[in-house]
Amino acid sequence: MNAKLLFLIPLLPLLGSASNALAGLYLPRRLRGAIAVLAVAGAFAATVLLWPLADGAGTRVSLFTWLASGALRADFGLLFDPLSAPMTLMVTGVSTLIHLYAVGYMEKEADTARFFALLNLFVFAMLCIVLADNLLLLFLGWEGVGFCSYGLIGFWYANLDNARAGRKAFLVTRVGDVFFAVAILWLFTLCGSVGIPEILQQTGELTAGTATLLVLLLLGGACGKSAQLPLMTWLPDAMAGPTPVSALIHAATMVTAGVYLLCRLFPLVALSPTAMLVITLVGAVTALYAASCALAQREIKRVLAYSTMSQIGYMFMAVGAGSVAGALFHLISHAFFKALLFMGAGCVIHLCDEENDIFRMGGVAKRSPFVFWMFLAGALCLAGMPFSGGFFSKDGILLSLFAQTGTGYRLAWLLGLFSALLTSLYSFRLLLLVFAGEPRRPVHGHSLPALMRWTLPPLALLGLTAGLLNLPEAYGGHDWLTHQLGSLAGRLPAVDHLTEYLLALVAGCLFLFGALIAWDRYRVVIDRTPRWHQRFLLKGWQADGVIDRLIVRPFTACAEFCWQGLDRSLIEGLLQTLAAGCLQLGDRLRRLTSGRLSHYLSGFAWGLLLMLTWFLLTLVKQG
Amino acid sequence: MIVPLSHLLIVAGLIFFMGLACTLARRNLIMILIGVEIMINAVGLTLVGASAHWRQLDGQLVVLLLMALTSAEVSISLAMVVYLQRRKGTIVADRYNEMKG
Repeated sequence: MNAKLLFLIPLLPLLGSASNALAGLYLPRRLRGAIAVLAVAGAFAATVLLWPLADGAGTRVSLFTWLASGALRADFGLLFDPLSAPMTLMVTGVSTLIHLYAVGYMEKEADTARFFALLNLFVFAMLCIVLADNLLLLFLGWEGVGFCSYGLIGFWYANLDNARAGRKAFLVTRVGDVFFAVAILWLFTLCGSVGIPEILQQTGELTAGTATLLVLLLLGGACGKSAQLPLMTWLPDAMAGPTPVSALIHAATMVTAGVYLLCRLFPLVALSPTAMLVITLVGAVTALYAASCALAQREIKRVLAYSTMSQIGYMFMAVGAGSVAGALFHLISHAFFKALLFMGAGCVIHLCDEENDIFRMGGVAKRSPFVFWMFLAGALCLAGMPFSGGFFSKDGILLSLFAQTGTGYRLAWLLGLFSALLTSLYSFRLLLLVFAGEPRRPVHGHSLPALMRWTLPPLALLGLTAGLLNLPEAYGGHDWLTHQLGSLAGRLPAVDHLTEYLLALVAGCLFLFGALIAWDRYRVVIDRTPRWHQRFLLKGWQADGVIDRLIVRPFTACAEFCWQGLDRSLIEGLLQTLAAGCLQLGDRLRRLTSGRLSHYLSGFAWGLLLMLTWFLLTLVKQG
Repeated sequence: MIVPLSHLLIVAGLIFFMGLACTLARRNLIMILIGVEIMINAVGLTLVGASAHWRQLDGQLVVLLLMALTSAEVSISLAMVVYLQRRKGTIVADRYNEMKG
């Protein structure tokens, strides 16, 4: 099998994007969507067909040298190994379904050429991240997804709030990108190469302190992209974009890029126990933070956004606990059910006349049982119903946390358990508020486009059965994903089956407990005015306000001072004074030219007098 | 030379300053031109005197040149005065102040 064929995987979406961007406006509407879907489906098919190349140590292939300057050499090269292959399969597979859904969703939208061009470009950038064999190409993809995310969140830019949300996402993730860029440059000076395999080979030579700092820098980058504390404020606002965008970017793919980066560089991460503990704690605190915020949100998509943040917190915990397999497992199963939930939410919003507020919905189950069952499947996976995909993956993470020693990990485990309870609680709150009871607002009937309906069942199936991917031996599985990853799987938790069953029992109890609390509180919906703690959670712990006070306002004040105080007053004032002086001098000089002949003549005469006096004086001096 | 040079210079100087005074004091263009002519003639007188004093012909030569130039200058300037009279309706020099800065 020709390894160069691997380039089809990222280049097909790029081709689709280019044709839509360059010629999309001249193509019929159906063709625009068809190009986008076919490009991504082609990438998916290529991944499936080329799967054998990932066996063993994988395949590394280079198309051409992208940058070469001195020791720096970055190829446009791909690394298709047991870690990137499942990720590629997930990205292309989920993207294909979401693209199909988007064709239905954007049926009445005018500017679909731009939409599909950006969507395809996004898939290309994401595949660059996943498949890159060097950090520079990875960074290209990293910035590429940031740009596409910016363009897609602000897709309906005529509404300023959307444009602002896009800008916010771009700027906040950019803060993380700076850390990542510093880490890349530092790794290059240390290892003399930006190739990922080369760097990982030389990691043994790093001192512990350097490794810790490097991993913390990488963590900074990952936090920005994956919306972890403290760079998480952009994700809830990112829901301003069209729903397929939320499903694709802010659930299934882009936000997982941070996790993937840490998995990709895990041999480096593993060098520093301190940094790993920090990663775990960041994940744990984010999981708790986001889960608590999701409890009080009113907009259906914001609930899901916070739950995404919380689930990615779990993935960070898995990486921190050393379980790359666990992180990847949760990443994949989460991608399935979260894409399903978002697409279901899109259907629900469509059914409720573009209503976003869950307190004004209700009764959707009666109007569309199909959407209800699909959404239920997603929500059960999210809440961690025993034997669904989310249950196994989340349980695996909690297990590997439990297997670690040390108070930090024990604390993270407890936080993870508590977040699991909250997850179950807010999932059922969402379900009950949206689907149960009678409609709380009169709605007109809307039928769903077929493409929006029929992309849901495959995802529901995948979400519910995702557990089979990495079914633990305790349940009669073979840990397929872990074996597939081989040496890349990280540290495996060494726990006996009894502990595993007990932990699963605890998780199952938490799921039930959360469901019962939700049943108790939200069975009858009373839309009260939110109390202070609910407002606090609704606003995401006032994180926006805090950041506004701590960073934005001082920065604005500083900029204001530089603008008004320095530029306007000092520099411009100085120049203005100088110019005014010149003007005044010119004005004085101007008055000399009165235009009167007599004045000029008297000027002559005075000049003559002056000259004569001077002659006289010289004569006297000589005389 | 019968007349001493100093006398001649004094006379020439007097004539020159009279011409200058005329130029400065009068506002009528023709009178200003007359003043200029007087000054030129004073200069011519000095040149002739100096030429006689040092017995060199260059001075007289320059005076001849000066006369030719003066006649040309006067004819041009008088033509301009006539033109200005027609165009502006006046020959008072101070009325021509379009070149005011």
